[in-house]
Parts: sequence; structure tokens; C-alpha cells
Amino acid sequence: MKTPTRHGSATILLVLFLVASLGAIAGLKAATDRVVRRKLPGSSIIYIPSGKFLKYATFGYRDLAADLIYLWSIQYYSTPTIDDRYDHLDHVFAIINELDPRFQDPYEVGAMIAVDGAREVLTGAQDLSRGRGREAYARSLIEAAFKILDRGAANNPDQYIYAFDAGHIALMTLRDYPLAEKYFAQCMKIPGAPEFVERLRANAIFRKGDLKTAWETWFDIYRRAPDERTKKIADNHLYNIKATIDQTALQEAAAKYRDRFGRWPSDLQALVGAGLVREVPRDFDGRDYVYDPATGKVRTVIDPWRR
Amino acid sequence: MTIRAIAGITFKEAKRDRILYLLLFFAALGIVASRVLAILTVGDRVKIIKDVGLASISLFGVLMAILIGTGLVYKEIDKKTIYTLLAKPLHRSEFILGKFLGLVLTLLVMTGAMALIFLAIVFAHTGTIEGGLLVAVAYIFLELVLITAVAILFSSFSTPILSSLFALAFYLIGHLSWGLELLIKKMRPGAGRVLVHALYMVLPDLENFNFRTEVVHGLSIPPGIYLISLLYGVCYTAFILGLAVLIFRRRDFV
Amino acid sequence: MADAIRIENLRKTFRLGFIPRPREILKGITFSVREGETFGYLGPNGAGKTTTIKCLLDLIHPDSGTIEILGRPASSPRSREPLGFLPENPYFYDYLTAREFLAFTADLFGLDRCVKRERIARLLGLVGLERAADLPLRKYSRGMLQRAGLAQALINDPKLVVLDEPLGGMDPLGRKEIRDIIVRFKDEGKTVFFTSHILQDIEMICDRVAIIVGGRIVKEGGLRDLVSEKVLFTEVTVSGISPQAFADLGECVSTRGDRVLLKVYDEALVDAVVSLVHDRKGRLVSLSPRTETLEDIFVDTVTRT
Repeated sequence: MKTPTRHGSATILLVLFLVASLGAIAGLKAATDRVVRRKLPGSSIIYIPSGKFLKYATFGYRDLAADLIYLWSIQYYSTPTIDDRYDHLDHVFAIINELDPRFQDPYEVGAMIAVDGAREVLTGAQDLSRGRGREAYARSLIEAAFKILDRGAANNPDQYIYAFDAGHIALMTLRDYPLAEKYFAQCMKIPGAPEFVERLRANAIFRKGDLKTAWETWFDIYRRAPDERTKKIADNHLYNIKATIDQTALQEAAAKYRDRFGRWPSDLQALVGAGLVREVPRDFDGRDYVYDPATGKVRTVIDPWRR
Repeated sequence: MTIRAIAGITFKEAKRDRILYLLLFFAALGIVASRVLAILTVGDRVKIIKDVGLASISLFGVLMAILIGTGLVYKEIDKKTIYTLLAKPLHRSEFILGKFLGLVLTLLVMTGAMALIFLAIVFAHTGTIEGGLLVAVAYIFLELVLITAVAILFSSFSTPILSSLFALAFYLIGHLSWGLELLIKKMRPGAGRVLVHALYMVLPDLENFNFRTEVVHGLSIPPGIYLISLLYGVCYTAFILGLAVLIFRRRDFV
Repeated sequence: MADAIRIENLRKTFRLGFIPRPREILKGITFSVREGETFGYLGPNGAGKTTTIKCLLDLIHPDSGTIEILGRPASSPRSREPLGFLPENPYFYDYLTAREFLAFTADLFGLDRCVKRERIARLLGLVGLERAADLPLRKYSRGMLQRAGLAQALINDPKLVVLDEPLGGMDPLGRKEIRDIIVRFKDEGKTVFFTSHILQDIEMICDRVAIIVGGRIVKEGGLRDLVSEKVLFTEVTVSGISPQAFADLGECVSTRGDRVLLKVYDEALVDAVVSLVHDRKGRLVSLSPRTETLEDIFVDTVTRT
């Protein structure tokens, strides 16, 4: 006689066992999650294959490999617990670039990560340089940013963005104006570059102190200006340059006057009288500069940028 | 003991399978080739040997478990040798457990062989054998045991090719558990998240058996995790085998 | 005397295929096999013979009904302790030798060392495989595999032996050997349950039979009860006399040379034929009364259903 109860009861027991073990599994999984393992995905990349090696090792799936490594790198660099993640930044991105030189995002993002990293190294609570000196480490990261962008420009001569980004870093982060000028000049030459890049270059020239070239450059821009707005901007810059030149000359003369006579000149004409300047210059609009005899400071009557 | 008898002939049958030796050859090749790879790296060379070696043992072990395990039960059904076997006074569960233990024994021997080669190479390079490496290999073996159970589960109702795919999928899912974790963090609270969270707790997390990273980089391992991972492996294997028995019991051999 | 096998109202419907279409294979099978008897299970292909056996062995789970083996339900593994089974077209682990295979089977029953060794030796001798005992099974011919299968079915000295087409595919000498072995079972008090297509063999050795057609038992009973002693016709072969002489005595089936084969339906007319032969100085080559055989019954039953 078939005993449905015996057969069925074994099945019920089995099902109960399955449910119980499932519960145990979930519980143990929760337990393992609680244990803090130093789960550093690909941490401390002690060994990194060279890009050339990977090019051959990835069997023609280079682009895919580039994508995957890139995706990994995003996660990697956004994991704050990996405190040595910036050590091989250029190498990692060099690999991605070598695998797929026309993959645009990694160049920009790599440079961005490097710059952010430099900032973090300098200002963060954690000493990411790990004893090697924050300044030097940060500098090496900035260098890495430039290396990446140079690679991008070299591999993609038709893309202006890399020179642009490099110029931007030089200008804003490093305040290295000659470097910024160089990059903006490079950027200008690439077809498709925005029209304001030449103005950035001109500004960089001004900031680096070469006022004569700055004037010439801005004048050239003024001459070629295709619309009123650009003309106005160039105009303002020219005003500013003249004002700076005049301001510097006048203030130097005033200082000489003070040395000679023991007090600031009462007005600018006095400088002419003393033979320190040939004539009192007027600003670009033909107006007089404002002179404060108490401090010997010269300033413009109007804000150059609000003319 | 019927389980022991079945395990015995399963072991006998499995060790005749040429695939095992082919995979063993490639594993050995991989481990030895790590020496060559070491030359191409920037950085510490011994670490790459350790990492490639452990990865080889893990990868080829999984291939062995899947390729042989998925054929085990299917072959018996296909070739009808199972009729005479089940006509004997044994429970169907004894059959499943016997097959499982037989294959586990085979994998133990194979893993041991691969581990021996691996440790020999490491010893040749460093002059010492770290206990950590043995631990990493032991937990690789635990993962293989679980994969074997999964292969047998699928083998009991599916063809070898499909079973291999399912088992492989299990393996991949098991290593992407952290992806689910990330997903949960990014989801808004609601029914969807509860569901995904439930899946996350229940789907396998094979990273629990992965101590390779820590061992190779000399990181410390919190001691509690050993026991918990071991229990996790045992429980999950028991669950899978229970499922296999449940399915196998209800089967009609037409 | 207890029933070795008791089956009552066994039903099984298969739902196979991607879109399950139910096929009812067993439609309420009921029969019993008494202990010590040799039972033949007959039926056309697809009638459900093998399905019945598989239900008996718990390889298939019936939808409803009762199956008991020596008092124990078939769903319990213990019911198979006193059972030995030889499947149709036996296939075993081809990398094992016969000896190893028997050893494995013995282990499944938990036989201890001495018993195991002794029994293996005895069984190898019984089935005539002593010389081939250490060759791997994949080198065996069909007949040898059949013998090996028989040996493994007997490893536990079973009280009930179930054989699915045990005589199929063997040469006449082999068939005789197997038949003799089966008869020996009966002497040893074992119950034998087997299926076969070779009805002559069944007639020779079975005590009782059941005929299954289309999932139902259509005839069951003792062989002597089913097959009457009635003479259907007499075949007479004569030579030296032309067929026309027998025109109203019997039917001329065939002629060859000067031999004539006649079918005489009326028993009384047989004497008339013999007299005729004697009168005409012919030669009576042979005279065989043909009684109803199992085959007649079988064909009749199947075509009628």
C-alpha cells in the first residue's frame, strides 16, 4: 500500500530543512557583512602590467579592456579608504590611453582626478602622501594631470579640449601664466577651438607681466573683433593694460619723489615738475587718473570692467 | 554504507575523465607561467606569482567542478545505469550524496596536486611557505565544494551544456554580490529595495571564500571571518544538496 | 502463502512535452504474484509492461493505487532488499570489470567481506563468466552483459527476481541457459516475475501469466487454465500421393516436390487421411496435432481488444 503520509512527511521535512538552511544562509551572510574586511578592490596595486603588455594580452578586446579598466578606475578613485590610490594614477590612465588612444573621457577625467587629488593631498585631514611630503606629492599629481592631457592632445590632435584643460589648470590651479599661455596658444591652433581661447591667452600674457605683448595681442583682438561684445571686452582689456602701465609708472615716480623730497607729491603734476615723468598720462578714455596724496596710490576713475 | 560505495565508484569514474588532467596541465602551466608574467610587471614580482597561482587553482578548480559535475548524474540517467542502481534498497538522497562526495574527493586530490605545484614554485622564489597561502587554498576548496553541489543539482534535471551554463551563472552571480550591495545603496526605500535586499541576502556571496587578496598583499584577516565563512559554505552546500534531493526524489525515470 | 507482489488499481498518466499533453499509460492495473511462482507478464509494445515494472521499483511514482512487495510498500527502499532486478538492454559502468561491478553491487547491500567474495565467485560460475570476470564491461558482448546483469540481480540472494525481457537478443543456446537458471529459481523457492515477447519460453516455464493491453489487464490466470488442450487442427505431411486425393478431407497448405502438407480440421478425418495414405501406398512423413498455444491466445486477445 502506498503510504502517502510517509512519502509526504519526508518531503515536508525536506522543505523545512531547505527553509531553515536558507535562513541560516541569510543570517551568516549578515554576519560576514558585519565583519570589516579590508576589502580594497585592487588595492595597493603592487604590480601593474605595462600598457604594451596588455595591448597584446587582451586579444583584440582592447577597447573593451579599456572600458572595463576605466570603469574600475572610477570606482577605485572614488573609494576614500584606499589611502594609496594616487600612487600610480598616471600609470593606470596610461594603460587605458594606450589600450584605446581615441577614448576621450579618460584623459579629461584622469586629469580631473589628479587635480582633485592634489587639492585633497594639500588640504585634506588625512596625509595622503603618507610621510613623503604633501607639497611634493601634490606637485607630482599635477604633473601627472599634465602628462595625461599631453597624451590626449598627442593622440587626438583634432581635439582642442586637452590643451584647453591644461591651460585652465595652469591658469587657475598653478597660476603658472607662461605655461597657461603656451597651452592656450596650442589650443587656439586647433580647428574648432572656441573663440574666447585667444582672449584667455592674451590674459595669460598680461598676467605673466609681459605688458607690451599683452597690449599688442589685445589690440590685435580688438582689430579683428567680429562683434560689438568682443570689441568691448578687448577695449576693456586695453584700458586695463594702459591703466596698469600708467599706474606702475606713476607709482614708481611717486616713490622716487618721496625718497627725494620726504613726502608724497601733492598731485601728479608735481612729478612732471620734478622731472620724474615727462607728462601725466591720461587713461584710455582720455580721463585723468585718481591720485591719493596721502598714500601715493594711483587708481582709475572707473572700474575697467564696468565701462 | 551505500553512500560510501557510490562515492567510491564516482571517484573511480571521475578520475578516468581526461578533462581533469587537461585542466590540471593548464593549471600547472598557468602557475609556472606566472614566472614569465612576473618579468612584465612594474613592481613586486613574488606577489604576481602568488596571485596568478591562486587564481589558476581557483579558475581551473571551478572548471573541473563544473565540467565533471554536470555530467555525473546526467550520464547515469542517459545511459540508464541508474535503473539498476535505484532498484537497490537505497534512498535517492543516498545516490545524490554519494555522487557529491565522490566528486568532492576527486577535487580534493586535484586541488592538492595544484596546490603542491603552486607551493613548490613559491618556495623556489621565497624560501618559505606562508600559512596564509594554505588558508587561501583551503577556502578555494570550500568554494569548489559548493560549486560541485550546484553542478550536481543542475545535472539531476538538465543536460550537461545547460547545467554548465547555469553553474557558471551561479559562479558569476556569486562574485557580483557587491554589485547588488551598491545597487541597494543607490535605490530609494520601497518594495523594490526590500526585494533586492532579500535577493542579496539569499543569493550566494562567493567572495566570502576569497582570501586571496588579503593573503597575497599580507593584509590582516579578522579571525571571526574564518568560522563564519566556513559555516556559510557548509550551510549553502547543504541547502543546494537539499534542493537537489528534493528535485531528484520527485523524478520519474521514464 | 503471502503475495510476493500485490498490485491494486495502479494508475499512471504521463504529462510529457513542452505543452504537457496527458497520456494515460496505466489505467487501473490489478494483479498478484504469489510467492514461489513464476509469473509471465505479456503485452504488445507500448502496453505498459515496463511502466508497471518501473512503478514496482519506485523508478516511477504512480498517480494512485497500491503496490506491495512481500508486504512492504514499493515506495520504501526496504521493499527492494529481497528483490533482484535485471533491466532490458542492461547497461552498466563500462569501465568496471564484472568482478568489480558485482563487488560494488554487494557493497550496496552491505554484504560483509566473506559473503561477498563467496557469492561473487558462485554467481560468476553460475552465469558462465569466470574467464571474462576481469575484463572491463565495455568489452562484453550483448549476451555477456545479459549474464553479468543476471549475476548482479542475484547478488543479494533475492526472494523475488524481476526480469525485463531476459531472453531477448540471445542465441538459442544462451536462451536455454537462462531458461534453465530461471527454472532453478523455482526449485530454490524464489518468485520470478518477468516480461517477454518469446511466448514459447513463457509457455515453457511460467505458472501464471497476465496479459496487459492498452494499460489494462485483459487476461490473468494460470497457464493451464488459459491454454486449453483443445486440438485446433492436425498438420499432416504425406508424400507420393497427389493433393487432389485429399480434397474433401483437408486443406492443402503447400506442396514441395512430391510432399504435400495438409491441414485437417476435423479430428475424425485424420484417421481417414491415414487410411488413404496407407491404401494408395504413399508415405506418412509427419502428423502433428496443433493445440492452442499461448501465442494464439495472445494474438486473439490483443486483436480483440
